[in-house]
Amino acid sequence: MINVVFLLLIFFLMTAQITPPEPFDVTPPGSTSDAPADAPTTLFVSANGTLAFHEVKGDAVFAALADLDKSAPLQIRADATLKAVDLARLLPKLAAIGITQLALVTEPQTGGAP
Amino acid sequence: MFAFTPPRARRKPSLTPMIDVVFLLLVFFMLAARFGQDMALPLSTAGGGDVAWNGAPRLITVQPDTLSLNGAPVTPQTLTEALPALMPTPEAPVLLRPGVMTDLARLVAVIDALRAAGFTHLIVVE
Repeated sequence: MINVVFLLLIFFLMTAQITPPEPFDVTPPGSTSDAPADAPTTLFVSANGTLAFHEVKGDAVFAALADLDKSAPLQIRADATLKAVDLARLLPKLAAIGITQLALVTEPQTGGAP
Repeated sequence: MFAFTPPRARRKPSLTPMIDVVFLLLVFFMLAARFGQDMALPLSTAGGGDVAWNGAPRLITVQPDTLSLNGAPVTPQTLTEALPALMPTPEAPVLLRPGVMTDLARLVAVIDALRAAGFTHLIVVE
């Protein structure tokens, strides 16, 4: 029985993906915000401004995002070294396809003066 | 007195396999879990379009090392002191315009400082 359980465990380890892997390495900025990030869908933004959502990358994400349920919040997982202007350009595009509830994913951090 | 079957001693199950499985489960969840709960910072999108701007202009330009309010250079201290005079209501929106060289960490730090000072309706514009 132990052998079978062990085999099952290895099988699930190999096949299951608990969280979908990130399309690229993203380090969110630190923040003192205390709201947990619990939005079901995540839009990834890399340090050089590349967008990724599930399997699609680049400007095709807007078409994929437009099919989403607009009542659910969307969280943006952007790299800390992303130019803030790129984020500022992204927000009106998201608003144009009807996404109004946005949250920026941050890492918890204590203190920190601007 | 009848003795149909002699009373059997209860078999003590070995604990070692159970400990093995529990250990394996522990390793599995250690590998699968994503550590460190991420936090979220709510953002407002510009371009709602149907709400008229109320009161004096409140545009904060965020440069990598400096801040300016409506074009005049300010420090974080004078910014939080000068803003309430421009706000018609405490929930009035404040525009944040990042400079070309500003990175997201700097913008988030400024947003944090403003939220800590009580300004919660922040709109990032280009």
